[in-house]
Amino acid sequence: MLVLTRRTNESLIIGHDIVVTVLEIRGDTVRLGIRAPRDVSVHREEIYARLRAANEAAAGNAASDANLLPKPPKRPNP
Amino acid sequence: MTTVVVTTERFGELEVPEDRVLSFPDALPGFPDAQSFVLVNVPDSDVYFWIQSLDDPALAFLCAIPWGFFPDYAPEVPDDDQEMLALEREEDAMVLCMLTVHREEQTITANLLGPLVINQQTRVGRQVVLYGDEYPVQAPLAS
Repeated sequence: MLVLTRRTNESLIIGHDIVVTVLEIRGDTVRLGIRAPRDVSVHREEIYARLRAANEAAAGNAASDANLLPKPPKRPNP
Repeated sequence: MTTVVVTTERFGELEVPEDRVLSFPDALPGFPDAQSFVLVNVPDSDVYFWIQSLDDPALAFLCAIPWGFFPDYAPEVPDDDQEMLALEREEDAMVLCMLTVHREEQTITANLLGPLVINQQTRVGRQVVLYGDEYPVQAPLAS
């Protein structure tokens, strides 16, 4: 892991186009601003981990699992 | 309309209209190489779909249009995602929630935290993370 120290208003650049800026430090909380190309998604790590776990579970569905699907309630689209 | 032939593990060879091909430039958390998918209806349903990967025949996700199951679900697509998807009008967005079948418990749950949002005009999609901690990744589908 690369370890760098930054102060408020200082930044990191990752690759050529991802910029992370320390906006504010308050107690043990850091507010970060991220500038990244439109096709690069940025997530809080724990959220990414949750999503990855959920996606991995969802990837295990077999074609026959569709037989367990409930009949959808009748409701118009909003 | 041209068609695309897709090799799939679950459904064999599928021939689908080109306009069912979806592009996910960011792929999906856990599946970084999965950038192309095809939308396949579950037979006799306009609510359930499979999202089948074009890159990996074994990769497919069962999804549902969420509104009928979760009438209070009102996902707010964050600005960055709206911009990336070039979503100009709400009606252009197709929202699908990924389903997980829990065979032992005989239940099905939907991921409400990370819906798939697809721009129907451009056929570009992304798994969007909704802000707020109250969205479950495993919300039971009532049967």
